[in-house]
Amino acid sequence: MKIQQRTGASRRPSRWTAAIGVAALLTSLAACSSGPKGTVVNLYGGASGTGFEKILDDCNQKAAGRYTIVGNLLPSDADGQRDQLVRRLAAHDDGMDLLGMDVIWTGEFAEAGWVRELTGDQKAQATKDTLQPPIDTATWKGKLYGIPRTTNVQLMWYRKSLVPTPPKTYDEMISMAQKLKSEGQKTYEIGMTAAQYEGYVVNINNLVTAYGGTLVNKDSTAPTIDDKTVKALDLMHRLATSGVTSPSLSNAQEPEVFADLQNEKSAFSLNWPYVLSAMREANKDLVNDLGFAPFPSVDGGTPRVTLGGMNYGISTYSKHPNEAFEAGMCLRNEKNALSAALDAGDVPALATVFENPEFIKAYPMKDALLAELKNAVPRPVSPVYQNISTIVSTTLSPPSAIDPQKSADKLRDSIQAAIEGKGILP
Amino acid sequence: MTATPTPAAAEAAEERIEDRTTEIARQRFNESKRAERRLGLMLVAPAVVLMLAVTAYPILYAIWLSLNKADLRRPADNQFVWFDNYVTVLSSPIWWTAFGVTIFITVISAALELVLGMALAVVMHRTIVGRGLVRTSALVPYAIVTVVAAFSWRFAWTQDLGWLAPTDSAPLTSFWPSIWIIILSEVWKTVPFMALLLMAGLALVPEDLLKAASMDGATAWKRFWMVTVPLIKPAILVALLFRTLDAFRIFDNIFVLTSGANKTSSVSMVTFSNLIRGLNLGIGSAMSVLIFITTGIIAFLFIKLFGAAAPGSDPGGRR
Amino acid sequence: MQPETTNRKLMWWGINILVLLYAFIPVVWLLSLSLKDSETLNDGKYFPVSPTGENYQAIFSNQDFIRALINSIGICLIATLVAIVLGTMSAYAIARLDFPGKKIIVGLALLISMFPQIALVTPLFKIETALRLFDTWPGLIIPYITFALPLAIYTLSAFFREIPWDLEKAAKMDGATPYQAFRQVITPLAMPGVFTTAILVFIACWNDFLFALSLTSTNAARTVPAAMSYFTGATTFEKPTGPIAAAAIVITIPILLFVLVFQRRIVAGLTSGAVKG
Repeated sequence: MKIQQRTGASRRPSRWTAAIGVAALLTSLAACSSGPKGTVVNLYGGASGTGFEKILDDCNQKAAGRYTIVGNLLPSDADGQRDQLVRRLAAHDDGMDLLGMDVIWTGEFAEAGWVRELTGDQKAQATKDTLQPPIDTATWKGKLYGIPRTTNVQLMWYRKSLVPTPPKTYDEMISMAQKLKSEGQKTYEIGMTAAQYEGYVVNINNLVTAYGGTLVNKDSTAPTIDDKTVKALDLMHRLATSGVTSPSLSNAQEPEVFADLQNEKSAFSLNWPYVLSAMREANKDLVNDLGFAPFPSVDGGTPRVTLGGMNYGISTYSKHPNEAFEAGMCLRNEKNALSAALDAGDVPALATVFENPEFIKAYPMKDALLAELKNAVPRPVSPVYQNISTIVSTTLSPPSAIDPQKSADKLRDSIQAAIEGKGILP
Repeated sequence: MTATPTPAAAEAAEERIEDRTTEIARQRFNESKRAERRLGLMLVAPAVVLMLAVTAYPILYAIWLSLNKADLRRPADNQFVWFDNYVTVLSSPIWWTAFGVTIFITVISAALELVLGMALAVVMHRTIVGRGLVRTSALVPYAIVTVVAAFSWRFAWTQDLGWLAPTDSAPLTSFWPSIWIIILSEVWKTVPFMALLLMAGLALVPEDLLKAASMDGATAWKRFWMVTVPLIKPAILVALLFRTLDAFRIFDNIFVLTSGANKTSSVSMVTFSNLIRGLNLGIGSAMSVLIFITTGIIAFLFIKLFGAAAPGSDPGGRR
Repeated sequence: MQPETTNRKLMWWGINILVLLYAFIPVVWLLSLSLKDSETLNDGKYFPVSPTGENYQAIFSNQDFIRALINSIGICLIATLVAIVLGTMSAYAIARLDFPGKKIIVGLALLISMFPQIALVTPLFKIETALRLFDTWPGLIIPYITFALPLAIYTLSAFFREIPWDLEKAAKMDGATPYQAFRQVITPLAMPGVFTTAILVFIACWNDFLFALSLTSTNAARTVPAAMSYFTGATTFEKPTGPIAAAAIVITIPILLFVLVFQRRIVAGLTSGAVKG
């Protein structure tokens, strides 16, 4: 065997050179990126909503060259967004100016010193004409840490043809559903999110606050789990074992709940307002039969529902806090809030938008929303909210296995441990 | 002085010449050994330097953090607490449940993947028709992004949304069905990884040995066990070792399929929950170190089991 | 070889079809999800009733996705190339040369691949921010190479070991320098290992999610898996299942091309018998 016969080797160099050439070309592509000149306000959060570009353009025009707002993307899920923001905030990154904070992060971000407090004139501007509950979600220990931008509450959606009058209490809803089932209807279920995630905590919070209870006290120094919590857990257990919920209840997130409504399995669906616009796309015929009402309560009184939404916070490490504040105020002013409500389904925190005729047309459920919003409650406002949320969703999952007293005791112990910084999260 | 040397003198002279030649030979041997050492060190240097430069600080920092009470939200409050975090983790039923679940999933999936991977490798290697098609298609599951594959399984197994869901039960809401679905998703995805490594190993088995064996009357099954398997032991070791280490750290599949509900969390998910959700750096790092130690034990057991098949275990440099 | 009778051919085709079914049934499901519109997305049927290309249109008109594709291709090609070069050098040394500290190096490589990456993300993030590598191509390439090296070294060592020692001796006797012996004798025989490793490293880099998500913040360096998690639905709670499925299908194609090109080389190295007897 002669070495010279190995011709395979000599062909390779040219292929590798080609590969290197391609790589070099691509690297040079990577290098070319242009950014706006002058002061840049980097927005993180909510920049990818449908129709947001025109809001950005509008505010950049108003800025008239003093600054440019750049909308940066974040992952679409709230937890992914939090991961990104927290990592960079903890590293004192000055590349972020305006943050789209989910309402549940206020206590955490404020306590860690990652967002600036809004005082005096800025505070007055941020809270002018704004609904009170969203303002509460941006408040920690009496101080304001964000500009309320959007808010959100779940509604009870139901099938008008099967449910002539919407139920006023949870028990009524359960018995209506059971009646439909016993009549042999295939559409009878109550749809709600109960997978082991944040959406389940929203529902638990709904029930706990319906009984007038809370999970932690105002300063988040101790858990406030008492008999009201036990009653709420009992209700959840009853809902899950009533035979009128989806078999996939303990794995149901918003898409599954929506699908059950779309596929005509649910007669009642506890879900966010996006259901209307999504159903218009998914099943036009069903939309006409879709009714909405405020959430049921436990005693026929005012429904108390959990608030969602997003506030604009200004990063402590931002080099342009004043520009960021101005940008935030513009991005959520009446005109732009209306635009976001119509294009992206974001319910505004500004009360004046609710009176706008275009809004009323697109949101026939406006009155139900307002009724709920006036009495809406936040989730436990706490710097350790993430811990509490994880504890609640894992301890109470699956809903059919809840033992009201035992689970309440377990919650109390675990939340106490979380507040003291002890123990591990499941 | 041209007299012929006496026998004694001639012997002495011969010995001296022999000594000198052995000395020269030994010198040359040492030099070549040194050259070989130099070459060896030079060749590994870039890789070693890169690996150390990138991971030394993070790993040491993580280990340091595990000995502290540290929360990302309160960086000024770090406290050195020796092994408190380890005690907290190791005395928690949450950790041990997750540990048990993870071990179960790891053992079952690795075993299934080895068997199926070997079968697939044989097919990929030996098929006489449509070679390119089979080889490329077999890699498709491995090529799909894990989270999306997991998501499509979740969709498929959810009531009404998918084609695999039975009409009256929800498999993803109870423990054992969920575990098996997780294993299915994991195995489906990574059998090609095993198959690829094993196939490359199979390609190195000399045809002549197999021909000789078959001429001696050995059946295909016997040929496989007596000839092929011993020869591809190194490939099996690499494939099984890396696969087991990865399986122990399973995260994406469980996260998407069940979010860890019904106690289906793995140790990686518990770590993620404490480190990223709870921002508890101390506990999270302690869990990471524990996972690391466990995988170290697994690797150690493997290498002991496979003995001489481990890389670096023969001295090399045979000339 | 045994006669290639029609029977044997049929048997192998039967087995091939089993393999294809195994590989493709879930993938076809993913494909059908990508072809479904919002009306039929939740209908639970395996095949789309009214297939539509709107999801594919959506992702290709998304500039971030296109940019992410370019990032992925570039970053992964470079990372694979460098990892193979460094890995081959190290594996050759470990498998065939004698030098001190071999076992330590092998152990070190394994150690690095064993440590949970999730705990390393934050310190790496800090390092990269300090070195201004955050959100750049090298910022992703360097960790990818680092974490691919252990597998590369192990796999390639296993292959280098199997190559008979006599070959190098024979080459030397034919008058080759050590380098020539390496290039023209050893390397072709190591090709199965090299291309196998290349495929595995490329796929690992292509599908990586954790680093891509944590070490990038803009589309300057964001790769496709991370970009997919940035897809939004029409409203906050709607998951863009269609576009995500479409994106997943689209990003699998480059890998398949890569594999298709390389899979021949995995066995090609053995076709000419090197040393008889």
